[in-house]
Amino acid sequence: MATPSTSTSSTPSTSTASSPASPLWQRPWARWAGPPLIVVVLAVLPLVMTESANDTLARIGVFAVAVLGLNVVMGYTGQVSLGQIFFLGLGAYVTAYGVQSGWNIVLVFVLTCLIPAVVGLLVALAAARLGGLAIAMVTIALPIVGVPLAKRLSDFTGGSQGLSARFVEAPEGSGLYDDQWQLYVVLVIGGIVFLLTSLLVRGKYGRAFAIVKGNENVASSMGISPYRYKVLAFTIASLIGGVSGFLYMVVVQYTSPETMSFGHSIELLVAMVIGGAGSIVGSILGGAFYVVVPDLTNAVDPSLTALLQGALLLAVLFVLPGGLVSLPRVLMRRLRRSPAGRGSAAPPTTPSSTTGSGTAAEETETERQGHA
Amino acid sequence: MGKFVQLVVDGLSTGSVYGAIALAIVLVHQATGLINFAQGGMAVLATYVAWRLTVNDVPLIFAILVSILFSFVVGAVVERWLMRRFERGDPDTAVVVTIGLLTLITGICGWLWTYNNQQFPSLFPLDTVSFLGVSISIRSIGTTLVIVVAMIALQGLFVGTKLGLALRAVAINPESAASSGLPVGRLLMVGWGLAAGLGAVAGALVAPQLTLTPGMLDSTLVYALAAVILGGLTSPIGVVVAAWIIGVLENLAAVYVPFIGFDLKVAVPFILIFVVLIVRPQGLFGRKVVVRV
Amino acid sequence: MNMHLRSRKALGIAVASALAVTMSGCGGDDTGRSGDAAEGAPSPGITDDSVTLGITTPLSGATAGPGTCTVAGVTAYFGAKNAEGGVEFGDGKTRTVEIEALDDTYDPQQAAANYDQLKGDVFAMTAGLGTPTNRAWRDAAIADEVPQVLIMTGDPLFSDTEESPWQLGFVPIYQNEGEAFGEVLATSGGDHRVAILSQNDDFGAGYVEGFKSAIEGADNIEIVDELTYEATDTSVDAQITELANSDADVFFNAMSVTPLVISSLQKAQQLGWTPSWFLPSNTSSPTAILEPGGAAAFPGIYSVSFSKAPQSPAFAEDPDVVEYLAALKQYGNYPDPPAFPHCQWSWMVGATLEQAFQNMEEPTRDSFMEALRSIENFEAPLMLPDTSVNTTEGGQPAVSTVVVQKYNGRGYDTVTAFE
Repeated sequence: MATPSTSTSSTPSTSTASSPASPLWQRPWARWAGPPLIVVVLAVLPLVMTESANDTLARIGVFAVAVLGLNVVMGYTGQVSLGQIFFLGLGAYVTAYGVQSGWNIVLVFVLTCLIPAVVGLLVALAAARLGGLAIAMVTIALPIVGVPLAKRLSDFTGGSQGLSARFVEAPEGSGLYDDQWQLYVVLVIGGIVFLLTSLLVRGKYGRAFAIVKGNENVASSMGISPYRYKVLAFTIASLIGGVSGFLYMVVVQYTSPETMSFGHSIELLVAMVIGGAGSIVGSILGGAFYVVVPDLTNAVDPSLTALLQGALLLAVLFVLPGGLVSLPRVLMRRLRRSPAGRGSAAPPTTPSSTTGSGTAAEETETERQGHA
Repeated sequence: MGKFVQLVVDGLSTGSVYGAIALAIVLVHQATGLINFAQGGMAVLATYVAWRLTVNDVPLIFAILVSILFSFVVGAVVERWLMRRFERGDPDTAVVVTIGLLTLITGICGWLWTYNNQQFPSLFPLDTVSFLGVSISIRSIGTTLVIVVAMIALQGLFVGTKLGLALRAVAINPESAASSGLPVGRLLMVGWGLAAGLGAVAGALVAPQLTLTPGMLDSTLVYALAAVILGGLTSPIGVVVAAWIIGVLENLAAVYVPFIGFDLKVAVPFILIFVVLIVRPQGLFGRKVVVRV
Repeated sequence: MNMHLRSRKALGIAVASALAVTMSGCGGDDTGRSGDAAEGAPSPGITDDSVTLGITTPLSGATAGPGTCTVAGVTAYFGAKNAEGGVEFGDGKTRTVEIEALDDTYDPQQAAANYDQLKGDVFAMTAGLGTPTNRAWRDAAIADEVPQVLIMTGDPLFSDTEESPWQLGFVPIYQNEGEAFGEVLATSGGDHRVAILSQNDDFGAGYVEGFKSAIEGADNIEIVDELTYEATDTSVDAQITELANSDADVFFNAMSVTPLVISSLQKAQQLGWTPSWFLPSNTSSPTAILEPGGAAAFPGIYSVSFSKAPQSPAFAEDPDVVEYLAALKQYGNYPDPPAFPHCQWSWMVGATLEQAFQNMEEPTRDSFMEALRSIENFEAPLMLPDTSVNTTEGGQPAVSTVVVQKYNGRGYDTVTAFE
């Protein structure tokens, strides 16, 4: 594996200089053209696709954001959280209640960010002092206690019958269908969340998270308070979870106690690992896995969904233990190793950075493997 | 008073079931360092095997013994061919693999034997004994006793026997265990096999009351995890006692603390864990793990 | 944006695959929406030879038992009909009826997603199980003008014609069932002390509400204790213990979880508490629940029902039952004896749909809804005498008549008074 180094991300010169025929995406113009191209594609996509494809993409967006939140606290900071779905559910309830009470939608959105964040903050303040398994337990408690609590507080939550809130209809005159508008809303809000989060984890906070994840004693000896960063990570994760709850209401337009059931928490964990823990792109892949797999197994045989999903999960992890996001890396390694490949330069074992990017997780993984 | 004793006795019985799965989880963790989310699912699979045998008129005890053996083999095979690959890597990935295993096993059971509730014959008669004005079901007593025996056996295994010692050595430090001549691979398989076998016993004890379905032990799993954390990952006695405490306190809180009531009684184990862990982070009975930096 | 090389590669592949997947769903002309259909144009899901119905219901997970039944019954019914050549519709054409079922694992989000998948291909949605799962896409069905009919939930909202113009429940609303028993009890004459244990959701609450409204003002009935339990509980022993202490002589038990009913029957006996017992229609099966629970020990087990229990020896020779059991095996992909009443109810749904099909004059969803809403006194196969399907009553689901029955050791007898 690449030797850890403290350099920053690669510069164009290193990548292009080493091999004459460097892959498409390493060329300088691709780095500049890439992001805008993606934006254009995403802008056009909702207009050309079918309603059901738009629906699916929107749902992927919702759960990609939820998985992203989980990644912040678990993938990047290494704290086990099995309660992320609670914040999604809380955000959804806040949204539903606010919409039904006729509040201004911007106010509702702000509350959907704030309330779960505050709850997350309180939980973290209490739990972050405890060891790893204990945090896991406290986070498990959130959905497990949350469901009966949602039923009990039926004045706010509609009890076991849930709350419907249709509030995302395409504005008159825009010429858009509802599903297109909903997808745009998800893309915009989700995109902003992803952007902000990726800036966060690539910055000094991301580095601090990674150090706390690696070894808390080392972190405190470096002056980084594990407690503070754990609380921060958890609060951010809860905030993101709340936003995903808002998006959930945008797309599904109904919530009930089942939204935050413990089973879904486990599914989010699975989605995170399958997508690729500690990775921004992995969160998107995880969201896609969460949404697409049940539809896929339904298409194959509706009475065998559990069996097929379990088999698929195991198959993916068997082939790609690092998650779907590691597919390119695994493929490249295969190509490199193939005898036909004229050792086309071990593409520069790209100097890995210790920022909170995708490789940070890989590194800690190999560290653990080395010490096993 | 009668009601109080009744609730305690019932709580002990429910707690015994949580404890059985908790024991299996502890065993797997001692042997391979993993938390196995599929522990309950594997137990259910074994119980289905026992059930099929009883449907074909095989005597119950024999059917259960066969299912224990079957489960042992399944556990060992799963360890060798599925989990081995993930044991040294990221623990979160390993947990998710066990979750995938649980989903797969549940799906297989649903496919082979449907999701309908199947009747599983009871090892113990359905009668009750009257004791101090409280009627205690023989099944509750029997379940609790079997778990106590299992708990003592497991504790004895870990502390007193060479096998137990070898299992623990392999989990703590596979390299030096290997260089001491221990057959690491085989020991790992034995660890998983024993845990699976224990799960089969738990399944057979519980199925008569819960009726046999693929998801029979799903809610039990959460309580078992709670018991494991409360009692300490390293202590068989600890987790069973923790499981009992959880079962009893849940019942008592539901009845005597009206604010909690029956719908929120599930919060009790977690409040308990939280309180205990603040005071004793390693759990009631666990040993402190010291890591040299 | 300074992105790391590998993540960018990964992102590139991710976007490329996303594009690939979605290009396959790329619309072109398809980008029209379901609400766009012109008046009078044939609805989707129906051709001159066949009509397709959609079901979203739990086929895995804790509620998969009843969920599988909700598909099996209607599939068996139309499987048998298709084998005879199909159903003759009101517009003169004979069509086969196809069923497309998807698993939603009792997750409302998945149910909504299943609906989105199915709505373009099916003529109507039917038979799905659960209140939250049906509520999740109720608003969408109304907006898209897709029928969501004869669904397996006793939630009154679906039968409110004004609120839910495209919906219709099948099974009696929970309040009706509770009320039926309450009435029998209230008119019984003697003094009774009632203990209540109900599931903590709209199912249990509905039953209790109906029961209480029926006994309101009846001086001889006193509710002495009232408790709840969660559908996910593994045991209700604690609740039974407490209720036993109340010394009630009637136990109103609104439970929908089979093993919990069995264990509460057993626990009550162990405690020496043998009240008269009331069970709801979906958990009162003699073979699946009463026998394992040792029901013979109780002076009376009552239930409300509108369908014959096929394993009851009284119906062993009943031609409806014989035909139903055979079709279930042959066409319904359900080889075991029906484990839940939902199998029978789903069969009745099939029969009711056939009535609607026979009366609808145009192959449109509007015409279908009109025909469906005008069924009066239809005695569907497997229905008990004195019960019938009646969809003309506003605010009531397709079945609103139930009879009170008492367990006789092998099956049930209809009773009109509490003994």
